Amino acid sequence: MKKLISLVLALVMLAGVAAVGEGFAASYDITVWVAEEIKELTAQQIEAFNSSNQYGIKFNATIEAVSEAVAADNMVNDVEAGGDIFCFPQDQFARLVKAGALSKLGVAASEKVTAENAAGVVAAAKSGDSLYAYPLTADNGYFLFYDKSVIPEEDIDSLEALIADCEAAQKYFAFEMQTSSWYLASFFFGTGCVSEWTTDDAGTFISVRDTFNSPEGLIAVKGMEKLVKSPFHLSSSKADSFESNAAVVVTGIWDYELAKQILGDNLGVSDLPSFTVDGEEYHIGSFNGCKLMGVKPSNDAYRQAALHFLAQYLTGEECQMQRFNAKSWGPSNLVAQASEEVQANPGLAALLKQAPYSVPQGQIHGSWWGIAQVIADDVKLATDEAGLQAALDNYQAKIEELFTLDNTALLFVGAWNGWNNADTDKTYYLASKGDGTYALTFDVPESGYMGGRVVNPGSWDTDKGFAQVTEGADLIQDLGADNPDNNIVFAAPGNYTITWDGEAFSIVKN
Amino acid sequence: MSDVKVQKAMKQHMGLTASRRISNTAIYIVLTVMSVIWLIPFICIVLQSFRVESTWQVGYVIPRQWGWNNYVNLANTDFWRWYTNTFVLAILTAILQTVIVLCMSYTLSRFRFKMRKPLMKFMLVLGLFPGMMTMIILYRVLADLGLTQKNSIPGLLLVYVASSGMGYYVSKGFFDTISKSLDEAARVDGANRFKVLVKIILPLSKPIVIYTVLTAFMGPWGDFVFARYISMGTSAGKNVAVGMYDWLSQDQIGKNYTMFCAGGVLVALPVTILFLFLQRYYVEGITGGAVKG
Amino acid sequence: MKRYSDLEYLRLSKLQKFLYRLESFFCSIPVAVWHTIKKLGLAIWSFIKGIGLGIAEVVTTFKNGSKPTRLSYVIMGAGCFAHGQILRGILFLLFEIVFIFYMVTTGAYWLSMLPSLGKLGPTKDYNVILDVYTTHYHDNSFKILLYGVLTIFFIIAFIYTWWVNIRQSKTAEQILASGKKLKSGRDDLRSLVDDSFHKTLLALPMTGILVFTVMPIVFMMLVAFTNYDGAHNGYSNNLFHWVGLDNFNTMLSWTSNTSSGAQSYAATFGEVLTWTLIWAFFATFTNYFLGMMVAMAINKKGIRFKKGWRTILVMTIAIPQFISLLYVSKMFAKNGLINNFLIDMKWIDTALPFFEKASWARVTVILINIWIGIPYLMLTATGILMNIPQDLYESARIDGASGWQQYSKITLPYMLFVTGPYLLTQFTGNMNNFNVIFLLTGGAPNNPAASNSAGTVGYTDLLITWLYKITMGAESQYYLASVVGIMVFVVVALITLVAYSLLPSIKNEEDFQ
Repeated sequence: MKKLISLVLALVMLAGVAAVGEGFAASYDITVWVAEEIKELTAQQIEAFNSSNQYGIKFNATIEAVSEAVAADNMVNDVEAGGDIFCFPQDQFARLVKAGALSKLGVAASEKVTAENAAGVVAAAKSGDSLYAYPLTADNGYFLFYDKSVIPEEDIDSLEALIADCEAAQKYFAFEMQTSSWYLASFFFGTGCVSEWTTDDAGTFISVRDTFNSPEGLIAVKGMEKLVKSPFHLSSSKADSFESNAAVVVTGIWDYELAKQILGDNLGVSDLPSFTVDGEEYHIGSFNGCKLMGVKPSNDAYRQAALHFLAQYLTGEECQMQRFNAKSWGPSNLVAQASEEVQANPGLAALLKQAPYSVPQGQIHGSWWGIAQVIADDVKLATDEAGLQAALDNYQAKIEELFTLDNTALLFVGAWNGWNNADTDKTYYLASKGDGTYALTFDVPESGYMGGRVVNPGSWDTDKGFAQVTEGADLIQDLGADNPDNNIVFAAPGNYTITWDGEAFSIVKN
Repeated sequence: MSDVKVQKAMKQHMGLTASRRISNTAIYIVLTVMSVIWLIPFICIVLQSFRVESTWQVGYVIPRQWGWNNYVNLANTDFWRWYTNTFVLAILTAILQTVIVLCMSYTLSRFRFKMRKPLMKFMLVLGLFPGMMTMIILYRVLADLGLTQKNSIPGLLLVYVASSGMGYYVSKGFFDTISKSLDEAARVDGANRFKVLVKIILPLSKPIVIYTVLTAFMGPWGDFVFARYISMGTSAGKNVAVGMYDWLSQDQIGKNYTMFCAGGVLVALPVTILFLFLQRYYVEGITGGAVKG
Repeated sequence: MKRYSDLEYLRLSKLQKFLYRLESFFCSIPVAVWHTIKKLGLAIWSFIKGIGLGIAEVVTTFKNGSKPTRLSYVIMGAGCFAHGQILRGILFLLFEIVFIFYMVTTGAYWLSMLPSLGKLGPTKDYNVILDVYTTHYHDNSFKILLYGVLTIFFIIAFIYTWWVNIRQSKTAEQILASGKKLKSGRDDLRSLVDDSFHKTLLALPMTGILVFTVMPIVFMMLVAFTNYDGAHNGYSNNLFHWVGLDNFNTMLSWTSNTSSGAQSYAATFGEVLTWTLIWAFFATFTNYFLGMMVAMAINKKGIRFKKGWRTILVMTIAIPQFISLLYVSKMFAKNGLINNFLIDMKWIDTALPFFEKASWARVTVILINIWIGIPYLMLTATGILMNIPQDLYESARIDGASGWQQYSKITLPYMLFVTGPYLLTQFTGNMNNFNVIFLLTGGAPNNPAASNSAGTVGYTDLLITWLYKITMGAESQYYLASVVGIMVFVVVALITLVAYSLLPSIKNEEDFQ
């Protein structure tokens, strides 16, 4: 079905573009938010787009230096005032989709992006089955930077040896544990633990598979314990720590230039080391993330389409290579990744060496970062194995709390809440009226399928739906065999009150 | 006077001066140590701003190579625009806020009307709400008025000035210390209230006016939470604190740290100079006012 | 408690006297609170009574009033026109026209939407030809709430003006009946710089306060009763709605998660509150006493370069905190200047955990706060010390009082007396001292036991920085931030009330004039 739609669309587009091409020929005032260091480059790239695009689109762009993390905050605060095109780190993706700050990619754009970029990066730009952003880089991972004058070459594969070298030299081992879950998770990934989250099309988290609290997790915290209990562990991920007494820093490619300037020829880079627990060796894992570029939603179709063309161009192979050449931003485009220059970059080489142990970041619940962050503090305070286990128990309980569903409640799941049967938000719950009946007054928005049914949150029961409606049957459609799930399908949008008395529904239109 | 008595008196006198000398020496030592502690961060910031050999944070204080590079490089950024923004904002805030605060405090100090006490209580209660709470709504109001992003400087001015009436406390205290008989004498001579304010009270209020101007002038230089929220990533609407704060972000700190220090020195300059010249009035103003309220 | 008569009190020993005073202080707190509540109740009652009387007056005036007065019930300013007060009449009429125009054009819409806070959220469309998704925005819960509140403010203002208009017409008649002359428009204008000069002076400041302080506070308090957060931002994703007291229930629930050992929300709130109070206490009093001592040292006879010492200290005020405090926080880092220096000097082997351990971090921020606070206190105290009548010291010296005695019998009581209110504002100011904590530690180190739904809470977090974190955090829980804000208000208000009823120097405002 999907294939067919896209085929039809492609045909329509072929016919359409010629006809509508002139509709684009206009000048658009836009605001673009990019990181400070690529501000000028982006201006040149937009100029190039203006002079080369086939539709006659002219962008009059104001380019603002807004760092990626700040851009996401700003967009969430006020979508209306946000940049028309903006960049953000992938951990902000679900939050931005949820805030309605990202405009979904069209069919053609989705196909192009999926075909041209690394699979892990494409997954990072997806909520449910829909692509909401363009991959910008694929280098948001971390690896080992060290001072060759302090750390002998043969020690870089062992966490214990690194710690011992640092302690002996009275130098710091900088690995951001207490203030960043992004780095902290590396120990867990090293022992095979996972934290995988799923979102629906609207950016809402609907489930998680998290195995941090497991025998493997316990091994991970034992490894972490060795590091955080060392007096020469420094919770930092800044390359300038090399200036103030650090010999090892775990950070990413963005710090490569700075580290090189500070240490010169003494800079060594490599994959992360291994740690040993009970005679068994575990290679520390890592997150493998990316940066994305998004387009703000608007109601002007031409302008919106033009912006999507621009975003597609800015994240295409040519522009990614330009950013790599100018600022060493690691490309996500498969062709660019395969180019010789990229392969030869020492920082990216280290990242590549770490790649087998890294985990694609995917979508992660916004609250997870705060919850996981305290593990290192807990581990540091723990005095025995029970203490370590308690840290994991604490973590797990908090993760479970995120998905606590009241599975005795009655939720009217359907088109209006994006078919989210794990909706913790009470908007579509039937409220008890105290006399054994439950009622909900709500709006049915206009859509192709205005249907749904009442379930206990978390389940997909089919016993409370169309067949149970006794009053107000004239307001709903009888779809017969086309309704295998016993859904109540409204005939018209509007404001309805639905009442459940334990056996039957009555529906009233307000 | 017998010799014995004279000797005793002399001894006493000498003992006194000796003990005073000891205590004064101790005070000098303490004050010197304090001055060093108080000055270290500033000296460090100034020294860092002249460092040429590297642009990131380092583990030593004295630069190995001195120069004006960081100050020169500021011209390549939007720094001077932010600086001008803040300077204009600070001057306008100082003028308007002083007018508002003086109106408010003079009224509450000199007039006795029915709503006076309830009004003062009401403002006391208002002041107990954490200001952070209202940041979001103020943003929305300003956004509706078109005073955010590139227009955030007038927006900030509006918010600073509009809510400044709440800070009447210190200057009211000052006006309270000016004798009421002066007003009454003038009133008997036929001057109206407005004339009393302009001709009699204001000339006596130089310290509190300067105190108010000074505090109002200082405010805008350091606001980075609210100003950042209002400017929403638009460079043209940033004040110097917001603009410079970004230089400390992860991707910029390695490149811009010494420039941050140079900018910091330039930001501190106008306020420090004003303080050096107007310190006396500041002390008189705050003591006249805060002593009683 | 046992109360002593004056004579008995004088017979007590020093320690007993102190204990007695301490006891009576604490015993008077509940009384003070009770008095305040009683006063508050009375105030509310008299307010309600006032409204009742106002309504009664409106009714009787209509019954007994003349034609122009009755007409001004419908057409505002009619009474004024009839009595020749044209200027007032025009103003009243103008206000009525503006009000009606506003209500008809937009006000009615906002009011009608207020109960639901919006019906239709954004909708999405797919443009097949351009292969692009567009979003159409409809209702905006935030604007509905905002303009709804403004409209209600406006209606209240209108009703009040309407009432004034009726009353003025009535009094004008009474004045005319007694044979006196009414004020002309010119008289009205003249009084604006004379008898009613206070109204002129207050008009602008009060408008500002009303729009930019009162209205936002009312709005934010209302947010506490909605589900306004990142997932319901009222415009670009979902509308938000009224949820009644749900948020307060969450906030005040004491049930902790037993399996995780995580605290309940209320327990976390309690912990942050406790630290906030401890912090405010130490931050206020360390600065107060040390600042006073520094001021006395500088002002001591025979000390030279007074202005120089002062200037050095005052530089901390002149340099914006986001520069100086960020630098200081770097100095105290594990690999910062101080630790590296101490290690280089071989005084310590491993770095001191200034910001790493809860107790260390708390002490460190209090100490650094001294560095910031002393200059202010020094300036304030300098002036006050100069104001203490010198003859007090003279006579004390003649009586052979030692330096310490002079301090504890003259300087300290004088200072405490005149700076009572100042201390109180310092205390509440420190409770909300965002900059120091935010710039120095950002709340670190983490408190692992903190409630899950509270977000990341650190051991040095104050309520105000916590509030900031809730607002700016991943979930942007504006509704919870506003609940916390209200709680902060309640706590601060309680402290202020108690202090005000106990402080001696506030009561006699007129004494000083």
